Amino acid sequence: MGRILTLLNKELTVELRRKHTLAGIFLFVAIIVYILYKSFNRMVGMEWNVMIWIVLLFAGINAIAKSFTQESNDTKIYYYNLVSPSEYIIAKLIYNFIYLLIIFCVVYMGFSFFMGNPVKEFSLFAKAAVLGVFGIATVMTLISAVSGESEGGGALLMSILALPLTIPIILLLIKIGASALHLIQDSSVGQDLWMLGGIDLLLLGLTFILFNEVWKN
Amino acid sequence: MKNKSWMYNPIWKILGVLIFLYVLIGGMTTPLNPGITYITPDSANAGEMVTITCKGYNTNYYTNQDNLAWLKLDSIHLLPARTVTAKDENTLEITFDLPNKFPVQTESAFGTIITYNAKDGAALRPSGLHIKKVEQGEDPAWQSSFGKSLIAPTGIRFPFRSILDETIRNTFFHVALWLSMIVLLLVGLYHAIRYLITKDMASDKMSASFNRVAIFYGILGLLTGSIWAKHTWGTWWTTDIKLNMSAIAMLIYAAYLVLRSSTFDFEKRARLSAVYSIFSFAMLIPLIFVIPRLTDSLHPGNGGNPALGGEDLDNTLRLFFYPSIIALILLGTWIATILYRWDTLEDKTMTD
Repeated sequence: MGRILTLLNKELTVELRRKHTLAGIFLFVAIIVYILYKSFNRMVGMEWNVMIWIVLLFAGINAIAKSFTQESNDTKIYYYNLVSPSEYIIAKLIYNFIYLLIIFCVVYMGFSFFMGNPVKEFSLFAKAAVLGVFGIATVMTLISAVSGESEGGGALLMSILALPLTIPIILLLIKIGASALHLIQDSSVGQDLWMLGGIDLLLLGLTFILFNEVWKN
Repeated sequence: MKNKSWMYNPIWKILGVLIFLYVLIGGMTTPLNPGITYITPDSANAGEMVTITCKGYNTNYYTNQDNLAWLKLDSIHLLPARTVTAKDENTLEITFDLPNKFPVQTESAFGTIITYNAKDGAALRPSGLHIKKVEQGEDPAWQSSFGKSLIAPTGIRFPFRSILDETIRNTFFHVALWLSMIVLLLVGLYHAIRYLITKDMASDKMSASFNRVAIFYGILGLLTGSIWAKHTWGTWWTTDIKLNMSAIAMLIYAAYLVLRSSTFDFEKRARLSAVYSIFSFAMLIPLIFVIPRLTDSLHPGNGGNPALGGEDLDNTLRLFFYPSIIALILLGTWIATILYRWDTLEDKTMTD
């Protein structure tokens, strides 16, 4: 536990030290929100619901892709000797989850500021967002590790590997989001939330097991 | 994976080819049951005499002059035709004296048209005739039985389903391709897990080979489905959930191929692709098995449509459907072993 906290602390320190990447992500979000605002001019209902999750997805790719690719091989070997892979992945997961959650809050505030806030059932929306962000962060963390290891890797491989895997999560988010915005009447929305949670658990378990294999050098 | 002698054994390959030939020849040449493709007019008013022209398919109306016809409302309400005249083999003119009173609760009723002769057996058009201006009540014109026993024709014939028509044969290919794809993916998954446990490069190659064949089957499944959709739903591609989830699954596995080709270190490639293929198979479970069940789909088994095991897959179809799955799995395994041996040879020439 202590080691996980140390790792989290280290991630945060590195993040704050490289202010340009942090600022870059938030600027990216601001630009995307602004482009959407000026393209749609008036965005309501379903467009708002679809776009907020898509923006979250692309912001997430940009934010988490560097999670493993930014480290040099020497640093990786250094960590490898210091901590166990499960501690390392837990720290990365917690960090990326919180990071993506903050990004989502910024996206949400940006959307609300420019295009209004059509969310009618905030608790449902928030539950979906937390579960969805967790799922997306988990997929992207593992895929970032995989594409960081591969030679021809980089941003392109990261996106083609991670994006199709997030589609089930995005589809569920759009469906739950539509209920939260009262665009559709859906009595089985609780079932969808459980489903999202189930996918999250599945992904979490697999990431936990499979990361050991990716991490071996 | 030390003993690979089964790969060189020709018996199961020959078996696969033979079963597939049986499916191909039998599935394509077995005729359909006689059926009715359309009737004109398809609506009439109660209490009137109506003459309808009935277009049959695979019927022998003209050569059998003993044609009979009924309007069937439910299992105990049948109206025999007044006159039945065969124009040619596939055209029948039927005249009904529609009674004023129908034993229904609504103002209009749908009746099934049934034609029968000794050679073809019964052919029917479910809910073919829409009867309007109906009075509720019983009428002596309604009979409770056919008045004679209908004999089914002998020999194997596939069921006739309106809309599906001859494309019902696609069951042997489209549905069987998807089922065998799942089986091949499971074999690929098994070998991926095996690689991570044993670090045996042979398992990695097996996993990749089976996954590649499964992707190929998936693409064929989408193509056969697309052709089927054009005939039944009128379009090559629809927003149907199952269709699009399968397309996404194909995208995931296409990314798997890109990942494999982007990494050159054998050991690393094996490790990463095993990890990714396990991960993507896990995402396939919600994609293919769970999400489509939550929403309506045009596919059988969803949104009230009948499915496998219902009356749609009758015994004559089963005769070819199950062998087709076995044949496709055997053929897929054969292709996978060829890919595996090709990869092994390539590695050998590279290291030499």
